[in-house]
Amino acid sequence: MIDELDLLKKDWQKRDSEMPKLSYDQIHRMIWKKSSSVVRWIFYISIIEFIVPHLLYLLPSFRDGMNTDISGALGIQPILIGLSVIQYGVAIYFIVQFYRRYKEISVLDNASNLMDKIMRTRKTVKHYVLFCLGMILIFFMIFILGLYFSDNLVESLQLGKEPDMDPARFKWMVIGIMSVAAIVFTVVMGGIYFLLYGLLTRRLLFNYKDLKRMEG
Amino acid sequence: MTQELEHQFVTELEQNQNIVHKVCSLYTNNRDAHNDLFQEITIQLWKAYPKFRGDSKFSTWMYRVALNTAITLYRKSKKQPKTQDFDSVVYRIQSEEYDPTEQQQINLMYAAVKQLGDIDKALVFLYLEDKNYKEIAETLGISEVNARVKMNRIKTKLKAILNP
Repeated sequence: MIDELDLLKKDWQKRDSEMPKLSYDQIHRMIWKKSSSVVRWIFYISIIEFIVPHLLYLLPSFRDGMNTDISGALGIQPILIGLSVIQYGVAIYFIVQFYRRYKEISVLDNASNLMDKIMRTRKTVKHYVLFCLGMILIFFMIFILGLYFSDNLVESLQLGKEPDMDPARFKWMVIGIMSVAAIVFTVVMGGIYFLLYGLLTRRLLFNYKDLKRMEG
Repeated sequence: MTQELEHQFVTELEQNQNIVHKVCSLYTNNRDAHNDLFQEITIQLWKAYPKFRGDSKFSTWMYRVALNTAITLYRKSKKQPKTQDFDSVVYRIQSEEYDPTEQQQINLMYAAVKQLGDIDKALVFLYLEDKNYKEIAETLGISEVNARVKMNRIKTKLKAILNP
């Protein structure tokens, strides 16, 4: 077998002349092209993940939900403000962590270290996303609790006119809708994220495991 | 300053481009994918070039960046066809003392190597490029002993592919 691989080696060395030849200009044109590496994509997606939760405030329905009048009427405003402070604090922590990890990635490292660092960066983003998903659920839960303890739901929600149904039934209906919305929203957000990353780093993860298995 | 650096880089890469082409030929199956990977490696090399101190040879430094790009950073943008339409061009038989059985064997070996996983291909590539186990281990970030063990396993794997 060794003979065969050495046979291949001899042939391999001779193959230089068969390789394509690119001109100076062709190579020169390439150096300013945009990279499409995994690391760059992780970076783009992370930026989107940091921004998207804030873009939600641009949606009228979401803004109304977070409306201070409504949350004030439900008596949950101080809790929401407190949670927002925590959320921003943690987000800043993650942005700093992510930036540090991202900067550590160097193509000059050996393959094992390079993969380690990419996986660590990816993990930082993963933790941030899990935190965000958790926060979304908590926000919804507080809102639902606020609804549950509200004495006059119609007034709190500023609906204007009374619905044609029993107030208790109406309350449970609103709570039910909110609960379903909370779960659907969280699952969809989480699903999109894990699908994106799963597809993006599938090959990397495979090679990472292959290389680590070697060391194990 | 940048222009000078640019010129220096492009000239060196132009002279050493075979290394990158060889990596591309191992990791891709058609011309589009080959060019795509070549471009990504070039971008990575250029990005890292300011950190290249010249204490090692440009070509030595290229092996690491090229392989890192191929096995870690590169995303196959399009689905690659399973057929190896590029191989027939790249692995053309050009031996003067043409020996059909030997050439057949070599072709079979190339086909077998292409079936290996990305990491295994990297080991084979460095081996074919006449790198010693110390260099192979350093490039991949594994121990020298493991590089040897892995190489032996690859040889067994190749044997299995060749003699199913």
